[in-house]
Amino acid sequence: MHKRSRWLGGLILLGLAATLTFFRIPLASSQGLTLRSAPVTGALPVSDPGSALWLEATAIEVPLSAQNVTRPMLPDTRVKTVTARALHTDSQLAIMVEWADETHDDSMIRVQDFRDAVALQFPLAAGQPFFCMGQQGGNVNIWHWKADWQADIAARADMNTLYPSMHVDQYPFTAAVDPLAVAPADYVDPNYLPALASGNLFASATRASPVEDLIAGGFGSLTAQAAEGQNVQGYGAWADGAWRVIFARDLTSSEAEDVTFAAGQVYSMSFAAWDGANGERNGQKSTSQWVGLQLGAQTDGAAQPDQPRPSQSSAAAPSDPLGMLYVFGPMVLVAGLIMALAGGALALSALLRPKDRP
Amino acid sequence: MNVFPRDLPRWLGLAALLDWLLPRTLARSAIFMPKAPVVIGLYEAFGLVGQIVATLSALLALTALAWSAWHAWRSAGWFGSGLPAASLLLLSLAFVVVPPAGWLAVTYQSLLLGAIALAGLQILGSGLSRDQKTAGGLAALALALSALYQAIPALYAALRWPGPPPLAAWLFDAGELVVVVCPAALWQAYGRGAGRGMWLLAAVPALVFAALRLANPALTGILAIWSTGLTLYLPWPLYALSLWLAGVAVLASLRRGEWAGWALLMLMAGGYAPQLSTQAFLGLIALRLLAAPKARAGLPASEAPAVYRAPVEAAQPAGAR
Repeated sequence: MHKRSRWLGGLILLGLAATLTFFRIPLASSQGLTLRSAPVTGALPVSDPGSALWLEATAIEVPLSAQNVTRPMLPDTRVKTVTARALHTDSQLAIMVEWADETHDDSMIRVQDFRDAVALQFPLAAGQPFFCMGQQGGNVNIWHWKADWQADIAARADMNTLYPSMHVDQYPFTAAVDPLAVAPADYVDPNYLPALASGNLFASATRASPVEDLIAGGFGSLTAQAAEGQNVQGYGAWADGAWRVIFARDLTSSEAEDVTFAAGQVYSMSFAAWDGANGERNGQKSTSQWVGLQLGAQTDGAAQPDQPRPSQSSAAAPSDPLGMLYVFGPMVLVAGLIMALAGGALALSALLRPKDRP
Repeated sequence: MNVFPRDLPRWLGLAALLDWLLPRTLARSAIFMPKAPVVIGLYEAFGLVGQIVATLSALLALTALAWSAWHAWRSAGWFGSGLPAASLLLLSLAFVVVPPAGWLAVTYQSLLLGAIALAGLQILGSGLSRDQKTAGGLAALALALSALYQAIPALYAALRWPGPPPLAAWLFDAGELVVVVCPAALWQAYGRGAGRGMWLLAAVPALVFAALRLANPALTGILAIWSTGLTLYLPWPLYALSLWLAGVAVLASLRRGEWAGWALLMLMAGGYAPQLSTQAFLGLIALRLLAAPKARAGLPASEAPAVYRAPVEAAQPAGAR
């Protein structure tokens, strides 16, 4: 009988677990590394890495290691950690990534040159797919900032920028008199520039953003979103041996291949970084594991862009009533729940206690 | 009233072991496999079974935590020592609908740290042997360092300090060092006197790890992080030796029918720097089991096997004998 009841108990537990799994009711909460985005009002400092507003967001340091799962791989990549902060408004999210890099590599014109770069990755499906480019059935949205694209926005460089004395007899199918000054518009038929004609972002003569918006579902599946779907803005600056790169995008996106965000929710994200001076490109990169990204709920106490940064003590002890409620409300709630549990336990104990016990 | 119901540690230990090996280790190795339709189907099945097992493990962990809080109150006559466990349980359930953020996250992390510290103190203040106290204390220290590593960023975020916390990486590495050292103490406490067969059996996972590490260090490193949270920053033979000693301690404890064997399995399954609250609770429950291993699966100490009866009786206060 005892054995039967144990089997029955086990089956009930298994059935309960299967039911919870089927209805996707989680029993555990994540307690890993989480980047918490600070809510602010007004415009985000999307092109100002030095803005005091960034100090409103608590930074996390994310460890990176060399991608060693699939070829091409480089076992000794140089970017070991990145520091990340995030801010958001009612409509927009901005993430700043910083990392140490002694060299400023923003050119890919010569075959021996490789650029510095950094990328963020977000799962598009529930759960966490493989942290390197996702997996079959687990697509990821990737935001890839490239130092050479950033440099192109300031001044587009080409072969004759690096080799001013170079000479060209002629480029066929163009009407230009000076071959070195040939522009895409000078071609008699745009199909003679097939990459440009097909909308390949690499061939684009002008750049609206240094960030490429991509999608992937496993190794070798990385695909750029269409030009009209490129909706991630970015800005990167190198100074004193470190890059500081900002990604910015609207919280919502109408495109199915884009991740969408909502305040108060937790998302997964991961990082990748390349040091061009070390020959890092493509799969030869440093990657992180998944970390959490949580967008704090908007409150009236959200920081203002033009206000000086409040001192730490004033931030720790908000003076407005709503802020106080936000800080102490959960504590009171927990204390109430604990008292309720203790009361229930006492009552249950009194009921279960043998009557002959003094 | 027992620290835990007789079957709960065994069921929880088994579920945690399967949760560790199926969804968090084997299913994740799918990325290294060729993507033939049969393999995809097989891994999808693994994934489904793994999800059910993970939910079962979480369910049992929460049950054990609730029981632990209940037992602490019943045995101590007041609710103080069970308070952190009960609060953790409630917060963990609340986090299903409310994301852990701000001071709520700090409260949760502080409670976890407090519960680990209390459990560690219970081990050190119990009637266990010196070796068992050392082993349990080291396990508690590793869990505490891991909890501290995860608590500090939450505190920084709540205080809105710009960060990042300066000691985070140091804390993580120090905790991993303790994790690697701990199995030697566990073997000293629970694994001495193990037969040759147990040594050979326990060598299997250590040899698999060593072979994998020699054949493909990168793959081994990634699987180790996914599976246990360890970064393998120390020389790899140390990890292999630790795994071997831990295996011997587990087998010897299970052979004697002690809860310590299940506790060690739960510590391994929970992993270092756990990513889920229920995995952290596995470590906490394991510490509670280590603090009271003299009960053999719910039996009174007098019915324990002879090999274990003597130290148990010696540890009991004179009035209790």
